[in-house]
Amino acid sequence: MNNFRREVMVFLRTVRGRAYPRLIGLQREKSWMFFEIFLPLLGTSAFVFIYRALGAKPEFTGFVVLGGAMTAYWMNVLWSMATQFYWEKETGNLALYLIAPTSRMAILLGMALGGMAATTVRALAVLLLGSLVFQVTFTVSNWGALVLVFLLTLVALYGLGMIFASAFLLYGREAWHMANLLQEPVFLLSGFYFPIKSLGFWISAGASLIPITLGLDAMRQILYPQAGWGFLDVGTETTILALLSVVFLIAAHRMLLFLENVARREGRLTVRGQ
Amino acid sequence: MTIPVLQRETWRESLRSLKVATWLGWQIESNWTEPFLFAVYSIAKPVAGAMILVVMYLVVSGGQTNNPLFPYIYLGNAFYIYVGSVLMGISWAVIDDREHYGVLKYIYVSPIHVYFYLLGRGVARTLTGTIAVIITLTFGMLVFKLPVNLLTMNHALFWPVFLIGLAGLALIGILLAGLTLITARHNYFMGEAVAGALYLLCGAVFPLDVLPKSLQYIGLGLPMTYWLEGLRRALIGTSASPLLAPFSNETILIILLGSTLLVGAISLGFYRWCERRAKEKGLIDMQTMY
Amino acid sequence: MNHACAIKTENLGRVYQIKRKRGESGPTTLVALEDVNLAVRHGELFGLLGPNGAGKTTLIKILTTLLTPTSGHAFVDGIDVVENPQEVRRRINMVSGGETCGYGLLTVEENLWMFTQFYGLDSKTARERIQSMLEVVGLADRAKTKSYHLSTGMKQKMNFARGFLNDPQILFLDEPTLGLDVQTSRILRDFVKRWVRERPGKTILLTTHYMAEADELCDRVAIIDQGKILACDTPANLKRRLQGASIFKLQTTPLETLDHFGRLPGVSQFVGHRRNGHTELNFILEDENALVKVLDAVQAKGGHLLSLEKREPTLEDVFIHLVGRGLSDETGD
Repeated sequence: MNNFRREVMVFLRTVRGRAYPRLIGLQREKSWMFFEIFLPLLGTSAFVFIYRALGAKPEFTGFVVLGGAMTAYWMNVLWSMATQFYWEKETGNLALYLIAPTSRMAILLGMALGGMAATTVRALAVLLLGSLVFQVTFTVSNWGALVLVFLLTLVALYGLGMIFASAFLLYGREAWHMANLLQEPVFLLSGFYFPIKSLGFWISAGASLIPITLGLDAMRQILYPQAGWGFLDVGTETTILALLSVVFLIAAHRMLLFLENVARREGRLTVRGQ
Repeated sequence: MTIPVLQRETWRESLRSLKVATWLGWQIESNWTEPFLFAVYSIAKPVAGAMILVVMYLVVSGGQTNNPLFPYIYLGNAFYIYVGSVLMGISWAVIDDREHYGVLKYIYVSPIHVYFYLLGRGVARTLTGTIAVIITLTFGMLVFKLPVNLLTMNHALFWPVFLIGLAGLALIGILLAGLTLITARHNYFMGEAVAGALYLLCGAVFPLDVLPKSLQYIGLGLPMTYWLEGLRRALIGTSASPLLAPFSNETILIILLGSTLLVGAISLGFYRWCERRAKEKGLIDMQTMY
Repeated sequence: MNHACAIKTENLGRVYQIKRKRGESGPTTLVALEDVNLAVRHGELFGLLGPNGAGKTTLIKILTTLLTPTSGHAFVDGIDVVENPQEVRRRINMVSGGETCGYGLLTVEENLWMFTQFYGLDSKTARERIQSMLEVVGLADRAKTKSYHLSTGMKQKMNFARGFLNDPQILFLDEPTLGLDVQTSRILRDFVKRWVRERPGKTILLTTHYMAEADELCDRVAIIDQGKILACDTPANLKRRLQGASIFKLQTTPLETLDHFGRLPGVSQFVGHRRNGHTELNFILEDENALVKVLDAVQAKGGHLLSLEKREPTLEDVFIHLVGRGLSDETGD
C-alpha cells in the first residue's frame, strides 16, 4: 500500500513538475499574446472575409471563428506534444527525464495539461475576440453536451498527441517534418474552416480518426442546430470521441513503453544534433 | 585604392555567406529522408492549404467554378504559398540556429554577412515553395479549368512583378528574423503566423473592397497586394478588385517597386535595431523553450 | 545495499549499427564496448579513465538505463538494468559535464524544483536540498535568475547540483568538471569526495580523462580504451606497475620527426608532442642507461636539450604503458 501511495505521489508530482514550465512560460514571455492571439485572429478573420466575399450564410462566420479557436489546440498538440521529446532530446533534457524513476505518461500528461491550460487561454481569446469583432452569436442548445464534447475532444486529442510523442521518440529531424506535414493537411481534412460533411462520407469518416474532426462537427451542430451541416448526429459523434479517448490513451501508454525500449536498444534516446 | 579592395572583400564575403547558408538550408530541409517522402512533404503542405480555400468556395457556390472570383481566389492562394515559405524559411533560421543547433553565436562571431546568411537559409524553402506553386497551378488548370495560358500570358508584366515581389518577401522575412531574435519560441511559427495575418490584408483570396475601410488602407500599403494583383493581371488579364482596377499595369509595377524598397529599408533598419537589443540583453544564445 | 556490488558488469558489450547510404563505403558497425567486466563496491568512488571515444559514456548510458547492451549483463545495486530499469532509476542519478538542464525561461530554483518532482520529493525537502546544493556550487545568490541569463559554467553548476537532489545511492558523474575553471573544479571535486566519505554506502562512478582528478578522487580506477578494460586497481597499485621503470620527460628544440624514438633500444614506451616552440618527449625506459641513447638520438636529429626531468609514475604513464599512446591523443569514435 505504501508503495502504491508513493507511486501515486511521484506520478502526481511529476505531472505538476512538468506542467509548471508550460504555465509559467505564459507569464514570463508575454510575446505569445501577439503571436498566438493577435496573429491567429487576423488569420481567422481572413477566412471570415472569404465567406463574406462569396456571400455565404452568417453561420459560416461562426464555423470559422470556432475552427480558428480550435487550431490553437492542434498546433499545441503538434508542436508542444508530438515534437517535444525530439526537442527535449536535442537540448539534453530527455535523458534526464528517462533516468528519473517516474512514469513517462506522467511527464507527457504534465506537458499536456500545462499545454492544454495555456492553449485554452489562447483559444478562448480568439473565440471571444472573433465573436465580438464579427458579431457572431452562438445559441447553445445544450450546454452539458457542449462541455462534454469539448472535454472528450481534448482528451482524445491529447491522447493522440501522446501517441505522436511516443512515435517521434524514435525519430530525429523526421519527427519535426512529420509534424509540419500534419499541419495544413489536417486543417483541410478536419474541416477547421468548413463543415466536414462537404468532403463526402468516406473522407470525413477517415478524418474522424483525428478527434478534432468530430469534436468540431459536434460543437458546430450544438451551436447551430438549424444549419443542417452535421456529418453524424451529436450522440454518435460523442460516443466515437469517448471511444477514441480510451483507445488513444491506452495506445499511447503501450506505445511509449514499446518504443522507449526500441529507442534504448537502437541507441536513439541520446543521439543529438540531427 | 583601399575602398575598392574592401568592397571586393565585402562582396566576396556576402556571396560566400549566401552560398554557405543556401547549402546549409538545403541540407536541413532535405537531408532527412528519402527524396520521395521529401517531395510529398514539400508539396502536400502547401497544396492542402490551397485546397482549404477551394473547398470553402465550392461549399458556398454549390460546386460551381464559373464565378470570376474563383480564379481570383485560386491564383492568389497559389502564389501566397510563397509568402509562408519565404517568411518562414528566413525567420525560422534564427530559432533553429539559436535554440536547436546552438550555432547562432558562432555565426555572429564569424565574418559572415548576416542578411545574406538569412536570405540563403530561405532559399531552400523558396525552392520547395516553387514546386508547390507549380503543382497547385497545374492542378487548377487541369481540374478547375483556370483560364491561364502560358503562351499568351503577359510575360513582360509577370516576370518583373514576380521577382520584385519575391525580393520584397525576403526583406519582410529579415524583419521577422529580427523580431524572432528578441522573442521567445512559441507554438506558432512567426513566419507562418504573420503570413496568416497578412492573408487578411493583402487581398490574397478576396478583393480588398470587402474589408472595412481602415484595413483597406493597410492593405494598400503592402507590397504583396500589388504583387498578387500584378501576377493575376499577367496570368488572366483581369482583376476582380474594383479598388485596384483604376491602376494601370505600369502603375502597379511602380508601386510594387517603391513599396518593396520602402519595406526593405524598414526591414534592414529594424533588424539592426533588434540585433543591437539582442546583444544588449544577451539574447543571442538564449534558450526559451518551455 | 543488500548486494555485494553497487555496479557489476559481466562481459558487457555494445555494438552500434552505422547507417550507410547506397554506394557509401566503410564499416557498418562500431564496437563501443567489448567484454567489459567490472565490479564496483558499495561506498567506493570508482574512476573510469580513458581518452575520448574509449566507451566511457556508452558504459554510463547502459548503467543509467538509457541504452541497452548488445551482449552481456549489467547490474546496478544487484538489479539488472535491462530487466528492471525502473528499480535502477530509483537508486541513481547522473551528471554529464559540459551539459545543462531544464528550461531557459525558468529560474535556477524552479528548474531544480521541477527535477525534484520527477523523484517525488515533497516541496519542503526539495526546497531544503535545492538551497543546500546551490550553496555548495556557489549559486545561492542566483536562485531567482532565469537560467538563460546564466553563464555556461553556471549552467553546468546548476546541472551538477541537480544530480544530488534525490540523494541517489549510486551517482554517475560523466566528466563532471569538463570545461569548468580550476577553482570551481576544485570545489566540486572536494564536495564529491566529502559526499561519498560522509555517507556510508553511497557510490560514485566517475568518468574522466583528467588523470589528476582520477588520482586525487578515486579509490580504484579502471583504464578503458577502445571499449576494453585494460586494467583495474587502486591508483597506487596501478602506478606500482611501473616500479623499476625510469620515466623521463625531456624538452628539446623543435624536432621534425619523432617516430624513431620509440624504436631505440631500452625504450619501453614513448610519446612525443610538438608544443609551442619546443618538442616534449616522454619516455618509459627499461633502465636509466637507455637515456644516453635517447640523448644521442636527440643530438643526431639536430635538437638541443632544453630540460630533463625524471618523474614519479602518474596514471598517464600507466596509460601510456598499457596502450602505447598518451591519454590526450584522441582515437576518435
